[in-house]
Amino acid sequence: MLIDNLEMVKDLARGAVLLGTGGGGDPYIGQLLLQQQIREGRFVELIDASELADDALVVSIAGVGAPTVLVEHLQANDVCQRLLDRMERYMGRKVDAIIPVEVGGLNSIIPLALGAQVGLPVINADGMGRAFPHIEMTTFSVYGNTACPMFIENELGDAVTIEKTTTDRKTEDIARVVTGTLGAMVYSSLYPMSGHDVKTKAILGSMSYCLEIGRGIREARINYDDPFEGLLKILDQPENDRHAKILFDGKIIDTKRETRDGLHVATIKMIGIDDPSDVFEIEVQNEYLVATRNGETVCIVPDLIATLDRESAEPVTGEKLKYGQRLKILGLAASPIMRRPECLEVFGPSAFGLSEEFICVEDNKIK
Amino acid sequence: MQDSFRIGIDVGGTNTDAVLMSERNVVTYTKNKTSENVTAGVVEAMRMVIAKAEIDKNNIHAVMVGTTHFVNAFVQRKELTEVAIVRIGLPMTSGIPPLVDWPEDLRQTLGQHTFMIAGGSYYTGVDYIPLDEAALESAAQEIKKRGLKSVAISAVFSPIRPDLEERAAKIIKSISPDVSITLSYTVGGMGLIERENAAIINATLQHLAKNVVSALQTALEELNLTAQLYFSQNDGTLMSAESAIEFPVMTCSAGPTNSIRGAAFLTNLDDAIVVDVGGTTSDIGVLLKGFPRETIDAFEIGGVRTNFSIPDVLSIALGGGTIVSFDENNTVKLGPESVGFQLTEKSLAFGGDTLTTSDIAILRGSMTLGDASLVKNIDMDKGAQISSAIHNLIANAVDKLKISAEPVPVILVGGGSVLVDSKLSGASEIIKPEHGTVANAIGTAIAQVGGRVKKLYDFGGEDGRDAAIEQAVNEAKANAVAEGALVDSIKVISIEEYPMTHIQTNSVDVRVRVSGELDLSSLRK
Repeated sequence: MLIDNLEMVKDLARGAVLLGTGGGGDPYIGQLLLQQQIREGRFVELIDASELADDALVVSIAGVGAPTVLVEHLQANDVCQRLLDRMERYMGRKVDAIIPVEVGGLNSIIPLALGAQVGLPVINADGMGRAFPHIEMTTFSVYGNTACPMFIENELGDAVTIEKTTTDRKTEDIARVVTGTLGAMVYSSLYPMSGHDVKTKAILGSMSYCLEIGRGIREARINYDDPFEGLLKILDQPENDRHAKILFDGKIIDTKRETRDGLHVATIKMIGIDDPSDVFEIEVQNEYLVATRNGETVCIVPDLIATLDRESAEPVTGEKLKYGQRLKILGLAASPIMRRPECLEVFGPSAFGLSEEFICVEDNKIK
Repeated sequence: MQDSFRIGIDVGGTNTDAVLMSERNVVTYTKNKTSENVTAGVVEAMRMVIAKAEIDKNNIHAVMVGTTHFVNAFVQRKELTEVAIVRIGLPMTSGIPPLVDWPEDLRQTLGQHTFMIAGGSYYTGVDYIPLDEAALESAAQEIKKRGLKSVAISAVFSPIRPDLEERAAKIIKSISPDVSITLSYTVGGMGLIERENAAIINATLQHLAKNVVSALQTALEELNLTAQLYFSQNDGTLMSAESAIEFPVMTCSAGPTNSIRGAAFLTNLDDAIVVDVGGTTSDIGVLLKGFPRETIDAFEIGGVRTNFSIPDVLSIALGGGTIVSFDENNTVKLGPESVGFQLTEKSLAFGGDTLTTSDIAILRGSMTLGDASLVKNIDMDKGAQISSAIHNLIANAVDKLKISAEPVPVILVGGGSVLVDSKLSGASEIIKPEHGTVANAIGTAIAQVGGRVKKLYDFGGEDGRDAAIEQAVNEAKANAVAEGALVDSIKVISIEEYPMTHIQTNSVDVRVRVSGELDLSSLRK
């Protein structure tokens, strides 16, 4: 599929906010990057993993850092290209395709902008199926690939290589320190892997899913009185392992926020539109982690929680939530691969210090 | 001592309201349809309000004008000029040049005069690369050669390093002395794209602003008025005519702001929610310590995303002319269509055939316009049902703007405020002040002089947060004095702090607003 027009870019960005599950960085800057490429006549091809040769060389490109810095620095037009070059020099061969690390937030769009710029295809897949705060929280890592060698660079040309670590969590820790020193917003090429790795370890079809969601919301506003009806037809397809439901329809009555260890930590409290005794809470650590209704867990990481304007179905990021907003909360099942025990160990509830057990969103009592 | 008078004029989309005030008293007021020619309309309003008052013109010391004319010109693409866009940021930012997300017609109007210059700051305030002064000089030569008169300058992290933009302006002025320059840090907040856009919008309006201001000044002379001309800005304070030429975007939300300020003045309340019900829409805003609460979210204007300071106002499609209908389940549907200014032709109470919200107010006896006998056939229960839908719509909008569930006073102003005749849920009380229909003009007339500062401050210094806040307050006060405020009368309106997320730093985005009384001694000079 060729991404060659502004409407597709905006649909992707909208989908990426929903799949960002509250965080992931606002994809707006990514949208502008890709928009500029398209304006200059450079388009990007989204290909399915099945089109890759088993021995193809695939890498990820991702931004690491603070969204508040990103909105000032924007992005230099050659920084990701240099990261691709460094990876190719290290590997001693050309990269065949780019794979997004995460499908939620900013990092879903940055690989597309680079793909358009250098003429490389982007794979319709990713390693998180949503947004996560850490580099090691990928299915690539769980199933044996490593983020290293990870090449990091800022726009000025300060370059760092994390060649080898004992765990990807260690890579994450090093990258955080390096990012702070290099201006709090850097880019990286990481997770070199083969076409075969992608086919067996990645979350397949996630980029077109992102586009489908963004487009679905736009079209549902035109075709349905209630856009959620149209959106749920896309999100809830049990025959395709897609499960989704509206967890709550209410308004925000309180937002407690703080910045703890560089993380945006918050508790969002809501009550029902028609029933103030119906209470809903969302715990946030950059992304939404767990939602409870009247004290009972109804959706928990890695399943996705999304906050949408209750009338327009426009997805809203966690930083924009405030008292009085009317929202519908969606719960989405994570891809089946992400719910396996070995995955839950890396990005399930316990990885975020939560004591609750994982439950599948489709198994909660909400009808 | 003789009385000192002020004239406040609010030029709205539909009406131009004028009020002549002495101290805290409304002497006279007028309400006219807004004319095509804004200057002529303002002059006519002044003439009428003075004639009605029968006072000595020499005792009118200030004329304050609130108008959305400049921003309307941007939305309608009228009288815009080409702009030289100078961005200091390389090697950062090059992947997203200026105007990427602008509508194509505006890109054409502004021309393609973009100059990308090396320089900029980290969030820490440290330069990541020295400012390329040689490149600025050749850009300035090129600007001169192309005959451009308006320049917008932006720089990476200029809210913490305004000197980068100041230095660039100095270099350009040294080569092209007659250009007018907008520095992004003076109009926008954090976020280079939105701030740069604010600067470009401002720059493209400066020529128009200059024409309008000088036409008004000529008009004052022709009316033999010695009064000083002031403009009301988005935050509810005044700026001088000179500043209005420099910062036309700062006037764009004057209408809702002045209603909120006028409502505060008429009720003596400092904290409340203000609902201004017009003919087609209602504007709902928050009065916080006597001033409108502002929003920090980015918004779109004429198809361009930007983030200069505007009041946090929610507009809903409900006014005195809103059409009432019923859906298939017999549920009340309010609007969004309105008969607008044709209320006196189309609505039932005026012999028309369209059921409007005003008809319901007339039915319920809360409005005395029109012919009540023409609406008497409407079932009272149905009327009550519609009225309750109106109240619910307003109550929901009020709730969206509140910051907690705590009930707050609600002030109703504007011609359509009669639609509310009973309790609103979430309101501790409902107040409809006298002269509420011209609250906006009153808000313009009583406005004070403002000063503000919006920068990143380092809380990690020796005296930490307190010292940084004190410095910010002092800078804001100095700005107010420069605009003509009496130094002893200056009060702090608000201090807001926005820590940066995803990052461990002592830098905090601090926004301080202050205001003070107009220094009349300087006006009488």
